[in-house]
Amino acid sequence: MRSSRRAGLLALSMALLMRPASTQAQAAAPRPAPVTDAVGLTSVTLIAPAAPGGGWDQLAREMQREMERQQLAGSAQVENIPGAAGTIGLAHLISARRGDGRTLLVNGLVMLGAVLWNGSPVSLTQATPIARLVGEHEVVAVPAASPHHDMRSLVAALRENPAGVSWGGGSAGGTDHILAGLIVAAAGVDPRRTNYIAFSGGGEAVTALLGGQVTAGVSGYSEFAPHIESGRLRAIGVSSARRLPGLARIPTIVEQGFDVELENWRAVMAAPGLDAAQRRRLATLVERMARGDGWRATLTRLGWTDSYLAGAEFEAFLDDERVRIGRIVGRLRGAAGGGATATPAGEWVFPGLVLASSTLLLAFQLLTRRQTPERGRRRGPVVRVAAGLVAFVVLVNVAGFVVAGTALFAAVASAFGSRRWRRDAVVGLALCAAVFVMFTYGLGVRLP
Amino acid sequence: MDTLSALAGGFAVALLPVHLFWALIGVTLGTAIGVLPGIGPALTVALLLPATYALDPTPAFIMFAGIYYGGMYGGSTTSILLNTPGESASIMSAVEGHLMARAGRGGAALATAAIGSFVAGTLATAALTVSAPVMVALALGFGPAEYFALAVLAFVAVSAVLGESRVDGFTSLLFGLLLGVIGIDPLTGVPRLTFGLPQLLDGVDVVIVAVGLFAVGEVLYAASRHHLDGAAVPARGSLWMTREEWARSWKAWLRGAAIGFPLGALPAGGAEIPTFLSYAVERRLARHPEQFGHGAIEGVAGPEAANNAAAAGTLVPLLALGLPTTATAAILLAAFQQYGLQPGPLLFQHEPRLVWGLIASLYVGNAMLLVLNLPLVGVWVKLLSIPRPALYGGILTLASAGAYSVNRSVFDVGLLYAIGGVGYLMRGRRIPLAPAIIGVILGPMAEQQLRRALAIAEGSAVAIVTRPLTAALLALAVVLLFAPALQRAWQARPPER
Repeated sequence: MRSSRRAGLLALSMALLMRPASTQAQAAAPRPAPVTDAVGLTSVTLIAPAAPGGGWDQLAREMQREMERQQLAGSAQVENIPGAAGTIGLAHLISARRGDGRTLLVNGLVMLGAVLWNGSPVSLTQATPIARLVGEHEVVAVPAASPHHDMRSLVAALRENPAGVSWGGGSAGGTDHILAGLIVAAAGVDPRRTNYIAFSGGGEAVTALLGGQVTAGVSGYSEFAPHIESGRLRAIGVSSARRLPGLARIPTIVEQGFDVELENWRAVMAAPGLDAAQRRRLATLVERMARGDGWRATLTRLGWTDSYLAGAEFEAFLDDERVRIGRIVGRLRGAAGGGATATPAGEWVFPGLVLASSTLLLAFQLLTRRQTPERGRRRGPVVRVAAGLVAFVVLVNVAGFVVAGTALFAAVASAFGSRRWRRDAVVGLALCAAVFVMFTYGLGVRLP
Repeated sequence: MDTLSALAGGFAVALLPVHLFWALIGVTLGTAIGVLPGIGPALTVALLLPATYALDPTPAFIMFAGIYYGGMYGGSTTSILLNTPGESASIMSAVEGHLMARAGRGGAALATAAIGSFVAGTLATAALTVSAPVMVALALGFGPAEYFALAVLAFVAVSAVLGESRVDGFTSLLFGLLLGVIGIDPLTGVPRLTFGLPQLLDGVDVVIVAVGLFAVGEVLYAASRHHLDGAAVPARGSLWMTREEWARSWKAWLRGAAIGFPLGALPAGGAEIPTFLSYAVERRLARHPEQFGHGAIEGVAGPEAANNAAAAGTLVPLLALGLPTTATAAILLAAFQQYGLQPGPLLFQHEPRLVWGLIASLYVGNAMLLVLNLPLVGVWVKLLSIPRPALYGGILTLASAGAYSVNRSVFDVGLLYAIGGVGYLMRGRRIPLAPAIIGVILGPMAEQQLRRALAIAEGSAVAIVTRPLTAALLALAVVLLFAPALQRAWQARPPER
């Protein structure tokens, strides 16, 4: 009875934890909508190739909401496939969803850059382009105490000593890095000499800029906004073609004499191998969503620019962008390989040191005998637990989580001296079933 | 004044019924987990990470903080009644506390632990409230060079000071650093140590490492020696402390708080050292030092106060600098990053509701914990009667489901078990686990900050080392590294004669 109480307690505490999650899931679940939807799709899956919370995830979730509001498709789900700046999700779309006319992948400039930067084996050209949806422009800013008051002065310093101008921004190969490279190139300096300092997102670059650690910062406007408004940062150029509405004080980079324009666009793509009808249905779905009043309100609320572009024009834009970004990323990448000025310590220095010292310490650990080996440890129960672990890995994809988890539970219980395997199996089964239900319905994480 | 109004705003957030609810869940769960031997707050937060995707960050962190504090309270119950510390910071209270319990004064030991935890926790939270904004102001002047030096200091502190030998500490640290290197190098896009496996491109998730080392390793280790486990001593004796016990406790509480908070706030390895130190101080100052080793109440009151104060202290560098100094803080940092938040000076500006709500909820949580732990201590003691087979079976099953859910891949489950195997071997050799976790989290940060600092300094290492703050921090690290040797050299000289 005791162990079932334990299982019950666990399930109860977990159920309590899950409560808001599950109510949220219910709210988001498709209402029994009429299947006679506008474009003839009973369900759509929006793949956000990032963890929940980022820009792509946000776009996917806003699209889901708008599609359900307008009842454009029977149901819309968001699936997160995070990893490697979205390229894991792209690879999934290309290999596992071929010919699937009910899947859209959210992507954008960052993914295009990452594919080129990481030398990824998959490419955006392998997917079916549907439409560009939203965009955000980039801002170049300097700390208030900086001697630079416009792009010209910054570029003059750059021409004098390219390594002396450090650029702080987001991940390498991302939009911020690309813009810095474009500006350096437009200044007539070899972009290989861009002294770009990549920070991980979420304000690290802003902190470095505020602290005067880097010469200039590059980022989407929203990240700099509070500091530009409070006067601690000075925006000296925006990457749009014309001054932005509401931000007319900030001059464009173009008007200061440097032909650099960049938009951090986000778009949707479909799987490869679609026929014309499948493609048309998805294009219609996205167009209707993007034309709705609700969508416009969403864009205003989130401060995104509407940059809807579809069909042949979107394909032409993608081709241009691929060439332009490919050229600059190729040259920036050359720098990382060990150019004269950039990254004095290469990417293998630290791992080399770590590997060498680990080997030394491991050898030391293996060669020394402990003075007082612990007494009384037994190997049999450990082997039983290990057998349970192996069984779980082997079984989980074949027989599913519930079976594999029950086997694991029973193995561990026997290792700890339980001899009532039938009762253990029942308790394990109940526990695993509870975990399965909780993860699948409470968290939206499907266990096999 | 600013701090007070910010704190008031924080209370407005923390006292919302929904947040009180999450705080209650957190402290309840935390106490339960602290009581159960073998699973600590780091593991619990790691397991709950995937479960909180759907939750807003504020309630999630209020719950996590409750688990953190609750674990500190609950750990003492197990130490006193079972002589098996629920987590490493309770080792010292196990010594005197268990002797008190055997002598029939378990009730008083539990009471002084709980009240001391409350007093010290509240004082330390107040110190956190005051010092965090100061630290934030300082932190704005920190550049990559300073962050690198801080990380080095944390590495040395956690490896050299914890555990029985520095070689063991560094072995553990390097295991963590090695795991941290795996994946695409963020500065160049070059995959490192991935062996061509696409699943490793994004690196090894810290949740996998923590759950592997703590949960899987612990279950394997417990399996090898469960036949040696003792039984719980019933909590006898009144919960009410006598006048004499009060008189002997209160100074120990205050001293424990004074030792715990600053040592917790330094990047020096968390709660273990302050509890050891507090125990030593109490023993030296006690009126009846001969009672130590036979159940002296000061030996419970001081270390218990110190460990709660240290728990609050570790939140200072975590929130103000983004620098974790304990395994639990490292997992909390991962939790922040899951929400796209970067702890550091800007967090206080961008997310005041979250930060101050979190700090205010620590006061609330402390008060809840006092109520939960004093009158309800009997309920927690019952948790100790859960049969081990079901407990460990449940832990592994949940750990496996949690690891799978991070990336929905069986590969991660295999990795979890492999790391668990390493954790088992480390436990067998008494190699501390915390340096490995710190290494996984801070290793990539240290490397990138160093390379950034070098790029900013146009490749000159001298320019980095001559920055005054950087130089001071690195010098401190060197001193810590050689402190035991220096001390030995000092003592080797015959003082008498």
